[in-house]
Amino acid sequence: MGQNFYRYLFLFIILTPLNISSHNNEPHSIKGSSKADSMTQCVEPTEIMQKEHFVFLYHQRDNTVIDGIRTKQHSLANCIDCHVGYDEKGVAIPINSEGQFCQTCHVQTAVNIDCFSCHATVPRDKGMKRIKASDNNNHLSDKIKDITTYYHSNNHE
Amino acid sequence: MNKNNLTRRDFLIKSASLMTVVYIIPDLVSKTEAKPLDEKVSSKTKWAMNIDVDKCTKGCTACVEACIEENGLYGMDRPETDSQWIRKLTLKDIKTEKIVELPMLCQHCENPPCCDVCPTGASFRREDGIVMVNQHTCIGCRYCMMACPFKARSFVHENLTEQLTSAPRGKGCVESCNFCANRIDHGSDMTACEEACQKEGHKAITFGDLSNPKSRVNESLASKPSRRLRSDLKLKQRVTYSGI
Repeated sequence: MGQNFYRYLFLFIILTPLNISSHNNEPHSIKGSSKADSMTQCVEPTEIMQKEHFVFLYHQRDNTVIDGIRTKQHSLANCIDCHVGYDEKGVAIPINSEGQFCQTCHVQTAVNIDCFSCHATVPRDKGMKRIKASDNNNHLSDKIKDITTYYHSNNHE
Repeated sequence: MNKNNLTRRDFLIKSASLMTVVYIIPDLVSKTEAKPLDEKVSSKTKWAMNIDVDKCTKGCTACVEACIEENGLYGMDRPETDSQWIRKLTLKDIKTEKIVELPMLCQHCENPPCCDVCPTGASFRREDGIVMVNQHTCIGCRYCMMACPFKARSFVHENLTEQLTSAPRGKGCVESCNFCANRIDHGSDMTACEEACQKEGHKAITFGDLSNPKSRVNESLASKPSRRLRSDLKLKQRVTYSGI
């Protein structure tokens, strides 16, 4: 009896964090919100895409950068445009965030993708409102100002 | 019936005006033959830029701002390391003491020193003359930045998050002006900086295809003498300057 209790307690303690942390406070993409959800097939048959999509992407990236070929069929921008999900407010969710199209499979297969250190994770055009990275550092510059004013005021005394 | 009513004079006037409409006017309008999206760039097109320094206005930074807007080059408010693909310079001629302001950008050399020194071949010259960085193979060694006599290249030091779909860029890579390659490949013949300069009404920057005799750059080259900066280096830049 006592042993069983501890077993269940152990399991409960082990499993509880999983329940709590799953999708907590994260934007949920609405199922069927991406363009791809309403289509029957990707740019190539699904089985081929599942296994070979990176081959297409590697091929296309060289064609685009070196030869200036800008066809949409195998372009990463087109993948993102079609597969990106949207939340309740209609805002696109980064495609490499947890539970989103790219990340789901790559977590499963333990493949780390570095596309998105450079490429946009949501369709983002010129002129769209964007947050400046410097906005993130505002609190720092405020702190520095505080320190300098403090320093100067002390020195004057 | 009507034809019989035509006088000799009318006939001549009408046929001459018809000839004008059919043959002459289409030739006067400069054609922009957009490359199909699935076609490789070729050396038949030679992108080039001419900058008339006399028309470039002191204090105007429209081209710089347009470039930032076009390529999403937001910075970290650290001017020493932030990326700049185009910047304004103030130059003084030692002999004449003439002071000019000019925009400085990648000069798109035909003999680019950046490509000579690149250990991975990431710095390369596209068939149509655009010198750019293949960021997939760039290892961020910055040899090209040292080799460039015009200080035209920048290095991304920090993680970026808000890149544009049309302008991928990221930490650890060198980057520079690419003559708005994305725009051009999609059929435009105007860079963002030229567009901004025209909107401001200065028309100092002219861009176009050297092999098209009616392109804006050829017109401006024909109207005013121009020169390359540091022509002693024999780099054959595609960006030329008039008025210095």
